[in-house]
Amino acid sequence: MTDSIRQFFADRKLRDYATGYAFVLPALVMYVVFVVYPFFYTIYLSLTKWDGAKPVKEFVGFLNYEKLFADPRLWSALSHNFIWIILGTLAPVAIGLFLGVLLWRGVRGMVFFRTVYFLPVVLAPVAVGIIWKWMYNPQFGPINSTLRAVGLDVLAKGWLGDPYLALPAIILAGVWGYFGFCFVVIMAGLQNVDMEQIDAALVDGANGAQRLWYIIIPGLRHVLTMITAFTLILGVNVFDIVWITTRGGPGRATHVIATYTYNTAFRESYVGYGSALAIVMGLVSLVVSFIFISIRERGGD
Amino acid sequence: MDSHQASGEAIRVMASAVTVRPRRPMGFWIAKGAQYGMLILFAVFVLVPFMWVIFTALKSNLEIAQEPLGLPPNWRFENLAQAWNQGKFSRYFINSVIVTVPIVILVVSLSCLAGYGLARLKMPGRMLIFYFFLVGLMVPFTAIMIPLFYILRDIGVLGTYWAMILPQTAISLPFGIFFMRAFFSGLPYDLTDAAKIDGCNDFGVFRRVMLPLAGPAVAALIVFNFMGSWNAFLLPLIYLQSDKLRPVMTGMMFFTTRWGPDYSMSMAGTLIVMAPIMAVYLVFQRQFIQGLTAGAVRG
Repeated sequence: MTDSIRQFFADRKLRDYATGYAFVLPALVMYVVFVVYPFFYTIYLSLTKWDGAKPVKEFVGFLNYEKLFADPRLWSALSHNFIWIILGTLAPVAIGLFLGVLLWRGVRGMVFFRTVYFLPVVLAPVAVGIIWKWMYNPQFGPINSTLRAVGLDVLAKGWLGDPYLALPAIILAGVWGYFGFCFVVIMAGLQNVDMEQIDAALVDGANGAQRLWYIIIPGLRHVLTMITAFTLILGVNVFDIVWITTRGGPGRATHVIATYTYNTAFRESYVGYGSALAIVMGLVSLVVSFIFISIRERGGD
Repeated sequence: MDSHQASGEAIRVMASAVTVRPRRPMGFWIAKGAQYGMLILFAVFVLVPFMWVIFTALKSNLEIAQEPLGLPPNWRFENLAQAWNQGKFSRYFINSVIVTVPIVILVVSLSCLAGYGLARLKMPGRMLIFYFFLVGLMVPFTAIMIPLFYILRDIGVLGTYWAMILPQTAISLPFGIFFMRAFFSGLPYDLTDAAKIDGCNDFGVFRRVMLPLAGPAVAALIVFNFMGSWNAFLLPLIYLQSDKLRPVMTGMMFFTTRWGPDYSMSMAGTLIVMAPIMAVYLVFQRQFIQGLTAGAVRG
């Protein structure tokens, strides 16, 4: 009798486990086949020389990685990612914080402003790129047309054709498409800032900057690390806007690691070397995620 | 009169000490004006590019050359019809729907199942599996895009819609599972126990008790993934190269490249692609904002 009861519970436990695995299994299969396996496959390809067509992939060991270190195009692409990360993080977060604080205590037309600021966020990055390519159009684009209309012809130029201006110009387009996201998230975070502290600080005579620095920003700590993480990872992975506006040009002035990898692997058919670039990109992503997690752990309670 | 004002000022200062809102009339209005000025400035910064796309789309090329700024002299709505027909946009939109709908259904249902399993069901190695999925959040698509092309070719789906549906679903799963697990972990256990006493098995508890409670989270996940796969660009650029399979985003790129110097056509094409999503956003604004910021606000 006791044996059969024990048996029953043992079976039941197994059955419970089986149910648990059944819930997880479909997702696990998809994930392993189309994410995990390809990732290891990329590592393998990065150790080969292959054009994507030949039946044999020639194994070359770490040759591709040795080439990477001496590849000025990789370093210039990474430096563009770095610039993108710095400007593309600071600007939208600062604008979002600024507008969030302006709108915090409720303003007439609040819903209007929120709707407008978030509008570019729903657009695809491709659409953002096409819109700004038009804005920067040297002949008839609104920016140059406006400059000419007010007599500043000297300032009118081919924005995306200029090696020094192209990258900042694209980043501005990215900021246009993204600051609304930061704004909305910061607005949500501001709901949790302690109003009594603000009022107490006002009584103590704290000015606006002091209130911002000592109360509002610490109160937004979690939200700010969260969106910083988002923008950092976007900055590492940015592809769409760059490909649409300049395809990495003029010359290599706007190539980022993703466009360089895509171009190498799929347009120039250096699959092995492209895979090594992809691994570099994976590592950069990992480092950035790690930095973010450690900042968050330290910044947390 | 002066003393009157002074006493008024004194009262106001005293009052402000009580209500903690020091307001001096002039300063207040200047601050208010500056506040609105900045808010409007940024609204203009957002809206101007939209306006110019619309204006350019509705002018002829001659009108663009003569009058690049300003309203269209004649509102040529026929440009939109022309771009629609010449750009094969009906094909592109249908393709986008054909790939996006299965992706959203698959991601949401698999994420709910796995998220629930990892949050509430007992099994050995549960945390290990969860961390295994979390690692996927850190793997960028670029790191797997190259071999995926050859994998999709070898299993024979390149040249079909599955070449986008399968990988896009897989790369969306880590976030979906992370999100749904967090949601299901937060639900009270009493509900599960009560349903079990009433004779529900685990799947019954999931389907009849937990899933109905997950409405808002599921809605956010749907919006998030709909936007993600509708707006995806690099993935269809690599795996859906045939013009017959091309979704809206890559279709729009090829259209604007082909009609590059024809500004009014390429802007009309852009407007056609932008307009539906903007219209849906303006109607379902709250859901859009919740869905797109779901990851950031909750985390």
